[in-house]
Amino acid sequence: MALSRDMSAQQAFEVVQTLLDAPEDRFPLTFNSDLPRIRELFHAATRNQWDPQIDVPWDQLDPDAYTEEQRYAARLYWSRRAWSEYGAISESPALQVRFGVEHRPSDMQLFFTIRSQEEARHAEVCHTMAERLGGYIEKPVQQLFEGSVATHGVRRAALSADIPLEGIIAALVCTAEEIAFDVFRHLEEITRDPVAKQVVRFIMRDESRHCAFGWYFLEAICETLTPEQKKMIEDSVVTMVEKVELNGYHSSWLAPDSPATRAEVEADRITYEAGLGSTIEEVEKPIFVGTLQRIRDQMQPLGINLPPFSHPKLGTI
Amino acid sequence: MHGPAQRAAPTLPPMRLLVERRFPLEMNVTLPQIRELYDSGKAERWNPHRDIDWSALQPEQYDAPVREAARRTWSRRLWMEVTGLTETPALLVRFCMETGREIDPKFFLTVRNTEEAWHIECYERLTAAFGGRLTRPADRGYESAFNRNLHRRVLDAGQHLDAYVACFAAFEDGLELELCRAWRTNASNPTIAAVLDHVIADKERHAAFGWLYLASRAPHWSQAERELIADQLTAHIRDTELKGYHCPWLAPEQAAAEAHADALSATAGLGAAARGEEEETMATYVANARHRLADMGVALPTFETNRMRAF
Repeated sequence: MALSRDMSAQQAFEVVQTLLDAPEDRFPLTFNSDLPRIRELFHAATRNQWDPQIDVPWDQLDPDAYTEEQRYAARLYWSRRAWSEYGAISESPALQVRFGVEHRPSDMQLFFTIRSQEEARHAEVCHTMAERLGGYIEKPVQQLFEGSVATHGVRRAALSADIPLEGIIAALVCTAEEIAFDVFRHLEEITRDPVAKQVVRFIMRDESRHCAFGWYFLEAICETLTPEQKKMIEDSVVTMVEKVELNGYHSSWLAPDSPATRAEVEADRITYEAGLGSTIEEVEKPIFVGTLQRIRDQMQPLGINLPPFSHPKLGTI
Repeated sequence: MHGPAQRAAPTLPPMRLLVERRFPLEMNVTLPQIRELYDSGKAERWNPHRDIDWSALQPEQYDAPVREAARRTWSRRLWMEVTGLTETPALLVRFCMETGREIDPKFFLTVRNTEEAWHIECYERLTAAFGGRLTRPADRGYESAFNRNLHRRVLDAGQHLDAYVACFAAFEDGLELELCRAWRTNASNPTIAAVLDHVIADKERHAAFGWLYLASRAPHWSQAERELIADQLTAHIRDTELKGYHCPWLAPEQAAAEAHADALSATAGLGAAARGEEEETMATYVANARHRLADMGVALPTFETNRMRAF
C-alpha cells in the first residue's frame, strides 16, 4: 500500500465489496429533471448562500460577558457541534457518489453538491464560535464519549451494495436530520446571545432544505417499492433511532450514563443557562418526543410503520 | 418517473477502504492559501440563472449545421463536467478517511463541487438551446475515454492520494483552465462568453488548489513517491489526454464528429478553439507543468504522437 507522510503505516483498511465494484458506464447520459421539487431545492440553496465569515455579526460576540466556566462549557458545546457537522462533510458526498453510481435523478446529485458545502459552512461556523469563546477543542474531553459522537455509519452504508438507498435516506435525512432540525428550531427560540442565535438561525435555514430533500425523495420513491423494501426502510429507521439518536448523538442527555456523559450534560446545562446555544433534558425532552411522533405520522401514509421506541429517560414513545 | 437503483453487475475485485480515525479532529487553518481559495469561492458565489443573460444567446441567428455543432460541442463539455458529480465527492471522502489530511482541502472541495454543478447547469442550458443534449458520443468507442471510474480509484486505499491530486486536481484542472481560456478568446456570443468567464474564474481556483496542495506536500515525498507520481501522470496523459478526452482531434478514429463540431463552433464564436490553438495550448501547458513538477522532483517525460508535435 502506498503511504503518505501523515498516513500511519498502521492506518487500518478493510477489503469490502462495495457498489463501486462495477465498471463505470455513464452513457446514455440522462440528465432530465425527474424530481423537479429537488431541483428547486438546489436553486433555492444557490440563491440563499451565506458566508460564516461575512454574514455573522462576530463583533457582537462578547466573551468577557460570560464567566470562565460558561465560556469553557460553550467551547465544548460548539466544538461538539463542529464534530457533528464535520461528520456530514464526508457522509453527504458518499451518498452523492451513490446517486451517480445508481443513476438516480440528476436533481439529487446537484442538490447534494450544495448540501455538502452547507455542511462545511456549519462546521466552519461552529468551529469559529468555539474559537471566539476561547478555543476549539479537538476531541471529547473524556474518551468514553467518542462512541456517541464519532460516526453513525452512514458513509459505510452509503457505499454498501447490500443496504438500500431508500433506507439510508429515510434514516439519515427523514429521521436524524428531522430531529436535528427541530432541535435547531428549539435552540433558535431559547438562545439569548445574538451571535449564537444568528448562527443557529443560519444552520436551521439550511437544514430545512435538507429535510425537505428526504421527504420529497421518499414520497416519490415509495409508490414504486414492495412491502419487503418498505420493511427494510423501517429497519433502517429503527436502527438510526435506537442505536444513534437514543445513544446521544444529538442530545448528550440521551447517552448511556457514565462520567463522560455526565460531564457533557453538565457542559450543556451551563451553556444553556448562559444563553449561548445549548439545551437541557427538561426542555428538550418534549421536543424530541414530538419529533419522533411526527416522523412516525409522516412515514405511516407511505407504508412505513415505525414501532414504539423506549428509553429510560423517555419511557415509550 | 424514477424507481429504485439501476446498478451494473459487480465485475471488479473488492476495494480496500480506509477506516477513519476521526479524533483528534484538527479544524484550525493549516494551509492558509487553500483556506483563502475556499473563502474566495464563497465570496464570489454566483447563480447561473440570475447572473447570465440567457436572452443574448439567440441560437436562431445561427444556421442549422452550426447549431448542431454547438449542440455537440457543449454536450461533450457536459459529459466531461459531470465527472465532478462523482469524482469530487469521492475525493472529499478520501481526504476525510485518510488520517492526518488537513481541513482546508476538505472545505475547499465542497465549494468546488457546487461550482461544478453550476457549470453543468450552464452547459445543460446551452445544449438545450441548440437542440437538446446529446446523450452519448457519435461513436460508442469514444465512450471509454469518459468512463474513467475515478470515484472508485480515489477511494481505493492503494491509490496514493498525492499522486491522485497531481494527476486530476493539479495537472488536469490546470489544462482545463487553459483550454477554457482558449475557448473564451474565440467566444463572440455574449452569453457563451459570460458562461466561460464564470467557469474560468472557478477553474482558476480549482487548478490553484491542486498545485498549492502539491507544493505543500512535495518537500516530504520520498524518491519512490516522486517516481510513482511521475508514472501516474505519464499514464494519465497517454491514456486520457492522447485518447481525446479534452481534445477530440487527438482521437480522430473515434471522435471525428466531436472534432468537426468543435471546429465549426470555434469558427462561429460559440466557445471552442481551432485545432491549432488547442495544440498550442496543450503543448505550452504541458511544458509549464513539466517545469513546476521538476521543481518538486517529479520528472515528466516528453510525449510523442502522430497527432501533434512532440510535447
